[in-house]
Amino acid sequence: MMRSVQNIVIVGGGTAGWLTAGVIAARHQGRIQQGTFSVTLIESPNVPIIGVGEGTWPTLRTTLEKMGVSETDLFRHCDAAFKQGARFARWTTGAEDDGYYHPLMLPQGFTQVNLVPHWLEDERGRSFCDAVTPQGLLCDDGLAPKMITTPEYQGVANYAYHLDAGKFAPFIQKHCTSKLGVRHVLADVQTVNKGDSGDIKSLTTEQAGEIAGDLFVDCTGFRSLLLGNALGVGFKDCNDVLFCDTAMAMQVPYETADAPMASHTISTAQSAGWTWDIGLPTRRGIGYVYSSRHISDEAAEAELRRYIGPGANGLNPRKIPIRSGHRETFWKNNCVAVGLAAGFLEPLESSAIVLVELSAKLIAEQMPANREVMDIVAARFNDVNHYRWGRIIDFLKLHYVLTKRPEKFWQDNTDPAGVPDRLKNLLHLWKYQPPWFFDEFDRIEEVFPAASYQYVLYGMGFKTEVMAGDNSGTRSAAAGYLNENLVMTRKLRGQLPKNRELVKKIHEFGLQAI
Amino acid sequence: MTNVVLLNNEEHRALRVQPGAAARYGDNQRFVSVIAGEFAHLAVHYPILLTKDQDTGGFFIGAMLGFDEGENLFLDARGMETYRPLNLQRGPFFTAGNEIAIDLDNPRIDEAGRPLFNDAGEPTPYLQSIMALFRDLWPGLEVTKVFVQTLVSLKLIEPIDIDLAFDDGSKRKLTGLYTISQPALRALPEESVLDLFRRDYLQLIYLMITSLKQVPVLARRKNNALLKASAALQGV
Repeated sequence: MMRSVQNIVIVGGGTAGWLTAGVIAARHQGRIQQGTFSVTLIESPNVPIIGVGEGTWPTLRTTLEKMGVSETDLFRHCDAAFKQGARFARWTTGAEDDGYYHPLMLPQGFTQVNLVPHWLEDERGRSFCDAVTPQGLLCDDGLAPKMITTPEYQGVANYAYHLDAGKFAPFIQKHCTSKLGVRHVLADVQTVNKGDSGDIKSLTTEQAGEIAGDLFVDCTGFRSLLLGNALGVGFKDCNDVLFCDTAMAMQVPYETADAPMASHTISTAQSAGWTWDIGLPTRRGIGYVYSSRHISDEAAEAELRRYIGPGANGLNPRKIPIRSGHRETFWKNNCVAVGLAAGFLEPLESSAIVLVELSAKLIAEQMPANREVMDIVAARFNDVNHYRWGRIIDFLKLHYVLTKRPEKFWQDNTDPAGVPDRLKNLLHLWKYQPPWFFDEFDRIEEVFPAASYQYVLYGMGFKTEVMAGDNSGTRSAAAGYLNENLVMTRKLRGQLPKNRELVKKIHEFGLQAI
Repeated sequence: MTNVVLLNNEEHRALRVQPGAAARYGDNQRFVSVIAGEFAHLAVHYPILLTKDQDTGGFFIGAMLGFDEGENLFLDARGMETYRPLNLQRGPFFTAGNEIAIDLDNPRIDEAGRPLFNDAGEPTPYLQSIMALFRDLWPGLEVTKVFVQTLVSLKLIEPIDIDLAFDDGSKRKLTGLYTISQPALRALPEESVLDLFRRDYLQLIYLMITSLKQVPVLARRKNNALLKASAALQGV
């Protein structure tokens, strides 16, 4: 008999758990209302959530909109603000004026013509970013990516959010339980009961008895109670590529309530890692991600305090261990891991929440109809996730390998022994041709498209040889797009409000749904 | 600049105000905020549409009098022959609670205008008509606001794109305008429809839908104005 997959059990009540519950429940709302499908989330009343990830990707807009969440509510309840990308300061030479943007907008005309060789041929004194998109300058000006008249989830410039992850999970929880019919069970899982096939049959909980299910989603964080512990799937470390293993975080108040609020993440290279600096409406979240093999905790804390200045006086940092890596496989039998249970990487490009969204979406869209076809979906899920984690690791490493900084941490990062082969090959290739569509970026929902590589490479002064005469075929099209960018930049800089001003207005008046 | 003060019959006894419609008095507006009580008067002349307040993003309803900034196609040297929205009629006056206030810097304040008070300090018929106007306008603003909130909460608003091409070769693309979504209206559950009817909103909704037929009429008016202007330029 074909056993249909009807009851989804998610374990873990953090960001990963609730987002996964929301994405699956929204996609299968029809069957939930019919009573032929259920989503249950089991959350321990005793385990605090980690609340990592104050940075997100633009994908979150679509994810939340599909779940039926109001963007105005997100701003009001999650201390959210706009994010238009990241600025990497002092990553290349370490000089005071060394820095580049990785914005969220694609270069102008990206699908039509590759602007890189045209910019390389004639930079006209502009950075690559400023030549091809307005967004870096919008960030310089501290502007918001939209106006109060722009409808919810629509942008004038592409954007994501900075938010308080500690408030985000309860916010999504409320939506899931009140609007999407997700069952919330507060209980501690004691044993995972497996059948002969190795499938999980049920969970025995301390407070709510036995809970059976057809598909189990492990969102239990670093502990990976189901996939790691119960099903014995190992962990694949990647600390040979990404050296940072510790984070030290502080929440720093603004000097005044209306101090300017950056609409981008500021990521500044330090002696043995980098600091993040994220502007929320009520505070800045600042932290130092470093390699304990290269710096002591005491020295790291001193460096972090130096970065923050007097604002750090009287504040104590929270130390968070980072174990960079991921599960050897992500979906085994009838159990799939999402979030920290699947893996974690240093938060350099805010990849944590976007990976949760993409995994949840894949599970929701490909929800196997019955147990017999589940293994096919699982194989597909594993294939996609191996690819994604590999690509993200490559992309994070790219930020390090082009550095000219002299410190040991940075020099160790340039050692070819720590550079993945795929990235090594691409860097070799890109000396002669700039990245664009054909560089293996062929997957649907690529986390970091070729444009992201362009921004980092040419932001860090990477040189690609342009063959004489090679640009002639696309020169007039390219000139058109470069000019369009100038016009758009001027227009948006004159039109958009300040980031803080708009967030304040959203609190006061709200955004319209249309 | 504005200089708004409470009106009193001592200080302002001699003040005179020009009530007529003219561009120099500020009647040259392409979109004027209106109240629900005016819809029947408006719908026979103008499109009644929604737009967003640039400062708050909130919707408000207005009558469209023209297409370009500062263009009122119903205004000529003699004034406005068609129904003049209350927000234009009120001239330099405002309300402050139950009292009337006036903007002393408004260009309508003019010695050739109409007096506000007689020699005994009593309001003239003109000022009385302004006081009557505010008795409609003031509560009407609140009624209209609640009506708009109802449209928003029932998701009855949709954007409308107006693309126009005129005979002189010029084009206009109007954005940021909204109207009633007829598919959403048809899909309303019966209890909502009944509620709209009981609150007299259904009539307002249909007046707004009907008034869309004024868009091409307004465009013809604009076309004629443009042709007249280009004929004048060519000395025809």
